[in-house]
Amino acid sequence: MKLLLKIGKALLLGVFLILALGPLYWVIVTSLKGSQEIYAFPIRYLPESLNLENYEYLFNISNFGMYFRNSILISLIAATGALFISMFSGYALSRFREQKLKMTLLLAMYFTQIIPTYMLMSPLFTSFAKIGMTDSLLGLTMVYIAMMIAFSTIMAKSFFDRIPVALEEAAMTDGCTRTQTLFKVVIPLTLPGLAAIFSFAFVNIWNELFLAVMLLSSDHNMTVPVALNSFISKAGVSWGVLSAGIVVALLPTMIVFAFAQKYIIMGLTEGAVKG
Amino acid sequence: MVPAFVFLTLFVYFPIVKGVVISFQNYTLYDMTNIHWIGLDNFRAIMTDINFGFLQIIINTVIWILVSLLFQFLLGFILALLMKEPFRGRGIYSALVFYPWALSGFAIGLIWAWMFNGQFGIINDVLLRLGLISNNVGFLSDPRYAMVSVIVANIWYGVPFFAIMLLAALQSVPAELMEAAKIDGAGPVRRLFSITIPYIKPTIVSTTLLRTMWIMNFPDIIYAMTGGGPSNSTNILATQMINKILQFYDYGQGAAFGVVIMLILFAYAIIYLRISATKEDATI
Repeated sequence: MKLLLKIGKALLLGVFLILALGPLYWVIVTSLKGSQEIYAFPIRYLPESLNLENYEYLFNISNFGMYFRNSILISLIAATGALFISMFSGYALSRFREQKLKMTLLLAMYFTQIIPTYMLMSPLFTSFAKIGMTDSLLGLTMVYIAMMIAFSTIMAKSFFDRIPVALEEAAMTDGCTRTQTLFKVVIPLTLPGLAAIFSFAFVNIWNELFLAVMLLSSDHNMTVPVALNSFISKAGVSWGVLSAGIVVALLPTMIVFAFAQKYIIMGLTEGAVKG
Repeated sequence: MVPAFVFLTLFVYFPIVKGVVISFQNYTLYDMTNIHWIGLDNFRAIMTDINFGFLQIIINTVIWILVSLLFQFLLGFILALLMKEPFRGRGIYSALVFYPWALSGFAIGLIWAWMFNGQFGIINDVLLRLGLISNNVGFLSDPRYAMVSVIVANIWYGVPFFAIMLLAALQSVPAELMEAAKIDGAGPVRRLFSITIPYIKPTIVSTTLLRTMWIMNFPDIIYAMTGGGPSNSTNILATQMINKILQFYDYGQGAAFGVVIMLILFAYAIIYLRISATKEDATI
């Protein structure tokens, strides 16, 4: 009976694993098939041979390398910016003495969390159009920083909350200034938390589609999601190329997830709002 | 503190206010020189639209939320229960089984669109081989199956999130409590319903309530798979708002959808706060 239960459990765990990995497997296999093979019957579950023509098309004919670089740059800069700003605002919020003001500021942060980003598409576009900031990677980067600030601040605050004030006081009696205390005592202690915030912001920005579609228009500015979106409407882009694009698009998030999963999950389960 | 609020004011608060203003204006990209106040006309227009029935969109939104949520929760709970006891390789297992959660909704939509493809899709092929269907099904082109298909993709995406949250909650259930129940002769099923579920109920309630709001505002998968079609069958409030902006260039009507969504969100947030407040009272 006990053994049976164990086998059943293992089987179920296997089913979940297959279901989780299936779609990923399929998109990778599709990306490695030649155009003949993709539309051939019966469907082949294993590629005949490793065919890299889709990836060649992606990087040689379409400018995917450039889109990838745009995305990497924008995600790194915006995630760093959001982390840097929210480190200070989270610390300030955590150490605020004025309770009423603290609650108001926190609520103002939470408020932005219930506003979905696609809501900001047209107002941002029209404002940006007026000051000539559309189709600018810098403009989009600023928007992304703003998008991640509230969540990052709330997370940072909860990490700082757990560091006893007594520790800082001790450092200050030993002659540290306020800034020194922050950088030499508090921040090293919250490094895993800050890593979680950075990874979370990076992944979210990397994946963002709608604001980028709205605000970017010229080919050399496109980010990876925008490029994938343009592939759908472009005639002649096959499912093979699209799959290769998806695989490339998924790579960075999977790498970040592999390294930071523990921290992200920690941050998520400890009072995060957005999923 | 100041830089944070400068960014939020410029790129979040101000656009929200502007969105509300636009919803009362005639504001389309075709007619940029003629932007003027039209009162509630945008709201009237979106509610009486013949091609995109408002009632249908509301019903779609509710189905999209409830069915996705139910299965995400159930499967996530089962997965969390299976993973609660340590086993060899659990770390790697969790990394592999949780990864969908980190992926982009849009990319996931594209992957599932390909798998649900009516001609060359792997799902048609598997169902044919199993003898469950005798002809290819146009999952995304047939209004009868489109909603089911996008929901399946959404469930796949959401299970890891619930599993992560519920697993963390399950691991906080004190082992002594379980041992005591075991000694008293409670079987595994009895322990699940009398100890585990009541103990993690706060997590279940808060996660589910927050997720409801989140799924309502998650247009990415539908946008990638069907764009709201065929014939409005998978259109939810969020996708229709995006279509109004990206396809019809009608920012006024798009903003009107935005206001409707915001009103629902606020009503929901108030209910959520009430529920979590009474919950806290109960535990004290």
